[in-house]
Amino acid sequence: MSAKMVYLQPAPVRIWHWLNALGIVTLCVSGAQIRFPEYITFLGSYRSAIMLHNTAGIVVALSFSIWFIYYKLVSNTLSEIYIPKGSDLTTGLFRQIVFYFFAYFFGVPNPHHATPDNKFNPLQKSAYLVIMFVLMPFVSLTGILLMNMGPMRELVIMAGGLNILDTMHFLLACSLVAFLFTHVYLATLGKTALAYIKPMWTGWEKVENHGTGQTRLQH
Amino acid sequence: MKSVNRSFLTQYSIAIVLFLVSCIATGGQAQGGGYSFGDSVSKNVACIACHGNQDQVGSKNFIDPTKFGHTTHARFGCTTCHDAITSKHPDGNAIPRTTGCGDCHNDITTQYSASIHGTKASCNGCHNPHRVSTASEIAATEMNKQCAGCHENVKITSSHSKWLPQAGLHLGAIACVSCHSKAENYVITIYIAKRDEAEPDSKPNLVPYEELLKHTNGENLQYLIDRNHDNYISLDELRKFNRDPSNKNIYLKAMLTPVKPTHSFQTFDNRWDCTFCHASGPEVMQTSYLSFPEQNGTFRQVAVERGATMDALRSIPNFYLMGSTRNGVLNKIGLLIIAGGMVMPVGHGFLRFLSRKNRL
Repeated sequence: MSAKMVYLQPAPVRIWHWLNALGIVTLCVSGAQIRFPEYITFLGSYRSAIMLHNTAGIVVALSFSIWFIYYKLVSNTLSEIYIPKGSDLTTGLFRQIVFYFFAYFFGVPNPHHATPDNKFNPLQKSAYLVIMFVLMPFVSLTGILLMNMGPMRELVIMAGGLNILDTMHFLLACSLVAFLFTHVYLATLGKTALAYIKPMWTGWEKVENHGTGQTRLQH
Repeated sequence: MKSVNRSFLTQYSIAIVLFLVSCIATGGQAQGGGYSFGDSVSKNVACIACHGNQDQVGSKNFIDPTKFGHTTHARFGCTTCHDAITSKHPDGNAIPRTTGCGDCHNDITTQYSASIHGTKASCNGCHNPHRVSTASEIAATEMNKQCAGCHENVKITSSHSKWLPQAGLHLGAIACVSCHSKAENYVITIYIAKRDEAEPDSKPNLVPYEELLKHTNGENLQYLIDRNHDNYISLDELRKFNRDPSNKNIYLKAMLTPVKPTHSFQTFDNRWDCTFCHASGPEVMQTSYLSFPEQNGTFRQVAVERGATMDALRSIPNFYLMGSTRNGVLNKIGLLIIAGGMVMPVGHGFLRFLSRKNRL
């Protein structure tokens, strides 16, 4: 059984991912200071926290565009990679849940084998579908509106007013923070703690070759 | 006999005093149209007879009896300030005045003269002595209009934009004197404004007294929100007002107003720091008042139950002061969501550690 390297994460995806990661962490810290200024003062003045939050928000919104443009227009694999298929929902989800919450603890290998065209297991697909098509667009949209209350006043009123927008922005952001913990933890579930993280930096992932024409993730 | 006489005299004196007081009160009201104050009332009535008629004296010399009548200045009487009036008046000559604002308001004029504003405008530049009010009797929008008389809105917004994010939004939600006078504390004052999408945030449009009367069918305006007429606005009453479909064209506009604005106009260093307002904390944000317009052009404040600004979405849906008006319930929901996200790393991580030998 030999191992070979597979180019799993192309450069635009890696740029998007790390820009996004940096932006989201900055948004979390600055957002915490904006909401709890009496207790959190890491970033100096309140104004600095707001300016940083706004800048990081724009960076995340732009990196989101890179993600969308790459997957939709360049590789045209957006729906293939992110939308769960029928079999994913009927049996795939169940199989993956059994693996994570039961089989994994007994050393059973991951039933999902990542390929450039099928990167995510059914559970990942479902989670990323919600993250990338609901949470990210809405947190960005509410943030853009909150950042431009004057010029976008009519849209703010249409959306239900300032308090509704802020509530949505806050709860969506909390949901993304919750996901962040799970995401970082799951990224360490490879054969080694960095086995899944390295490919997101270099693009290449080490997979086992079973000699059947299939490649298999090394777990 | 002596005691009977004394008792009779006492009762007689009280009756005379009560009679005179009632005569003055009813006489004043009947002749002055809401003009009912003090000893100088008869003199005021004589002045207002001409100066209360714009056609007779022209707009420059016109004094609106309704707006003047409620003022402390009216109680003192016209001739307290216009003391050099002669029996020849009106003879076409201007009346020399030997009194000034400082004669009564010495502390304020001293404070004002020392401020950077002191050489820029006289008292009359901002205050019309014939319709003066206390700070709580003026809407914050009216205070700001006084400032805008000299300081053009466009220039003000532009100069604030250099350092203040979303300057227009701020200027429409704060009385200028909240930052430019040495007021120590502030409260949130709520007004009833027109829901006009064409108006920018920097210029909220309050509903005038006459227009609001249509919403209450002539009843006391306060009852539009204070439904149980207890002279106190509860959060529940605010929520009902916001939910009422008949109020779709009006809304509650909250503004940050100083408790005691001073006349020491300048920009205080701590106002450049956003945390003066944004980190003042939920406790400071608990106090608010609802300010209703009155027929005489002033506003009357009614106390609001504590926590109106903290009741996100329901009590004052359009007011949000980042940091200070964060809602406690939302914080807890947010914390629960984040804690939910930590269940996987903590729970799974623990079992992963225990079963590590199975994966060697």
